[in-house]
Amino acid sequence: MDTLKVRDAKDVEEVVRAAIANEQPLEIVGHGGKRSIGHAMATNAVLDVSALNAVTSYEPNELIVTLQAGAPLADVLSLIDAKNQQFAFEPVNTAPLLGTPVSGTIGGMIAAGLAGPRRIKAGGARDHLLGAHAVSGFGDSFKTGGRVVKNVTGYDLCKLLAGSWGTLSVMTEVTLKVMPKPEAERTLLLRGLDDAAANKAMTVALGSPYDVSGAAHLPKSALRTRTDELGDIAGQGEAVTALRLEGITASATHRAGSLRELLAPFGAATLIEDAASSVLWAAIRDVLPFAASGALGAWPVWRIVCPPASGALLGTQLARETGGDVIYDWGGGLIWAALPPKADAHAPSVRQRVDAVGGHATLIRAVEDVRRSVDVFHPQAPGVAALSERVRASFDPKSILNRGRLRRATA
Amino acid sequence: MAIMMPASDQAVLARRSEIVAALRAIVPGEGVIDTPAEMRAYESDGLTAYRQPPMVVVLPDTTEQVSLILKYCAAHGIKVVPRGSGTSLSGGALPLEDGVLLGLGKFKRIREIDFDNRVVVTEPGVTNLAISQAVAHAGFYYAPDPSSQIACSIGGNVAENSGGVHCLKYGMTTNNVLGCEIVLMSGEILRIGGKGCENSGYDLMGVITGSEGLLGVITEITVRILQKPETARALMVGFAEVEAAGECVARIIGAGIIPGGMEMMDKPAIHAAEAFVRAGYPLDVEALLIIELDGPKIEVDELITRVETIARGCGSVTLQISSSEAERNLFWAGRKAAFPAVGRISPDYLCMDGTIPRGALPKALARIRELGEKYQLGCANVFHAGDGNLHPLILYDANKPGEIERAEAFGADILRACVEFGGVLTGEHGVGIEKRDLMGDMFTEIDLNQQQRLKCAFDAQGLLNPGKVFPTLHRCAELGRMHVHAGKLAFPDIPRF
Repeated sequence: MDTLKVRDAKDVEEVVRAAIANEQPLEIVGHGGKRSIGHAMATNAVLDVSALNAVTSYEPNELIVTLQAGAPLADVLSLIDAKNQQFAFEPVNTAPLLGTPVSGTIGGMIAAGLAGPRRIKAGGARDHLLGAHAVSGFGDSFKTGGRVVKNVTGYDLCKLLAGSWGTLSVMTEVTLKVMPKPEAERTLLLRGLDDAAANKAMTVALGSPYDVSGAAHLPKSALRTRTDELGDIAGQGEAVTALRLEGITASATHRAGSLRELLAPFGAATLIEDAASSVLWAAIRDVLPFAASGALGAWPVWRIVCPPASGALLGTQLARETGGDVIYDWGGGLIWAALPPKADAHAPSVRQRVDAVGGHATLIRAVEDVRRSVDVFHPQAPGVAALSERVRASFDPKSILNRGRLRRATA
Repeated sequence: MAIMMPASDQAVLARRSEIVAALRAIVPGEGVIDTPAEMRAYESDGLTAYRQPPMVVVLPDTTEQVSLILKYCAAHGIKVVPRGSGTSLSGGALPLEDGVLLGLGKFKRIREIDFDNRVVVTEPGVTNLAISQAVAHAGFYYAPDPSSQIACSIGGNVAENSGGVHCLKYGMTTNNVLGCEIVLMSGEILRIGGKGCENSGYDLMGVITGSEGLLGVITEITVRILQKPETARALMVGFAEVEAAGECVARIIGAGIIPGGMEMMDKPAIHAAEAFVRAGYPLDVEALLIIELDGPKIEVDELITRVETIARGCGSVTLQISSSEAERNLFWAGRKAAFPAVGRISPDYLCMDGTIPRGALPKALARIRELGEKYQLGCANVFHAGDGNLHPLILYDANKPGEIERAEAFGADILRACVEFGGVLTGEHGVGIEKRDLMGDMFTEIDLNQQQRLKCAFDAQGLLNPGKVFPTLHRCAELGRMHVHAGKLAFPDIPRF
């Protein structure tokens, strides 16, 4: 299979135009770390954007950074970290979960749109993508959005590009919002709660005025596969419910105190600070309890988004029914479920349970055989599916880009 | 009227009485309005320079009625203009002579308040403020706060992706909506998103938000609600130079402080506001900043001190810190009344709405001054300084021949300057008809064609709110055409592996 390593946006246009003329669909890759997410593609050439890796401009005072899509995420994070800034949506590093060596590119980060614990407060990738240049499946370069936060000029196509898994356009350059890193970080830990009680505690915390920026629950069973990154937290053999407070030091400390009192009915919370707290939240963000190198590394993993207050009910049912493990983030609104290997990855139970509470489930990790027989992305209501297909075709009528990734080919 | 709207369909106009009867069959009683006197209330929105009575007004009160109306109009090739409270400042709800005006004013019920999931499910005709009021007893509120929040509807907020003073810290409408029920022009009813943080599949909610009523008619919205900050305090800081005020804004943001709101007024705006509300604004400064910090008291007190230090370091000439709610409200009173205050010193004014990178503020103000001299018109400037969103208010007198044309040309030049300085045509008011013909200054034809193709995916006949946003209308078939080179093409000369 041909791999075409493009050097600039013009190259991308030419490759896409040739692909249209030859009816030869393209797989779009950056570092290729997320290639195993989605269905096997009906493509016979690879468009590799990893050489489009320049930082176009970084203006810390404007809180924006403009990057070529192939810029390595790790490098960009170091760049903005040096100015004490961050992507507030905490992009997930999928490398440990998927067992790949690289943390990927900026383009991959946007195309996957996977946000970490701060999603509940700061939004997702879609909320931080201000503008983009991209090449559509018509082979034309277009731009959308701009380089300022406040902008309602024309349709917000950035929202569609984020989370589109490369099926709408090939992004060549993006402008992202960056935010100052908080001065201090405090995390309260409650131990030994069952899922239902933890869900209640997180609901109380998120409904408080203390501006909680992370609310996660790691049940006891999910911690049995001790991961070094979790260190002491995993070592104590009890479930952990974690609530994060960030901001200026005096404020984070004060709010941690107030929240501890509010949560007293759920037990006595202990406090971890700054570096220890960051390590924990990075482990939650990157789903380390289910890392590919760990004891559950061979199990399929589902990523489930649901109304937060329904999380525990859904998670406990799934864990019980399948003998699997779950961890909760977003106050219960995000469930990572590692389920014992099975030909259908337990898709019927997962989807039935998720539909019952109004959510959606993505099979984020599974071997190719399983992905051939199971819908990776949650099936949509027929009207929404038809509209989504028309939207896709409005960017790429010949389905040249990542053909087949989102929808399972039916025999 | 300087703006050309799509030519009226005479065949549709000739069938008016038949259309009115068909709509009455769907929405009985007073829900269909067809007399010139009663329709007058609907002939313009907040952009009052433009007026056009609609062919007929229909005010449904169920989703099924909306669906039947759209299905009927689609089947008969009739244009439809959706309308919420009619407070758009860009003409988004301007009626068409041959169009049905579809008012959502009867959709004013809050359907569900769900504190555990921190969401409100509401009908689109509910006002922005009413949502906050409905959850205030539990300490919650809905964050986006456009200045028309007492009147503007949440449906209109979604259509326009409305902002407000506090969106610097809390985001615009798009960052605060989770799902909707939408009726497509075909009459099809769809549910997008829900109470979870994210939709499945493409982020359709994201592109519906801010689509200015061109993609569908929203009949239900799920918004996220937040706990009210414990306290808020404000600083009012005067500067002898606009540049120093701009520098102060940059340094506050640079120090990692995101205030709840950060507003700037220039001298003409300060004078107009002070004459109107007597807020105690300093009259000899060139720029006034109002900076509000919100959050826990301990945090607000600390940040007030930090901002004060920054402001003094930038050479502030006056500086007051609110010590009570009454004083904080007084600081804001002049800013909040800036538009009516300017209305008192000038018979008419045009309110513009561009965004620029924060750093370009002094440059933009200098340009606005030059343009004011060129067009011989006054201009008072108020800005959401924290996010670079400018609201120049161009003063003119509609009774003086040629002044409105000069004012519009002045406004267009300001917006072109915003684009030139790296910004955009509209920060929160929308394109509508007002900035429609400037879209070519920011986007290429290819950019605009891609946007219009998306429109085709929702409304292939182009019947929903035509004439807004896009300067040139294309048929969907023409937009979808592919220009494929004949024969097989080799992949070009690109490194391969």
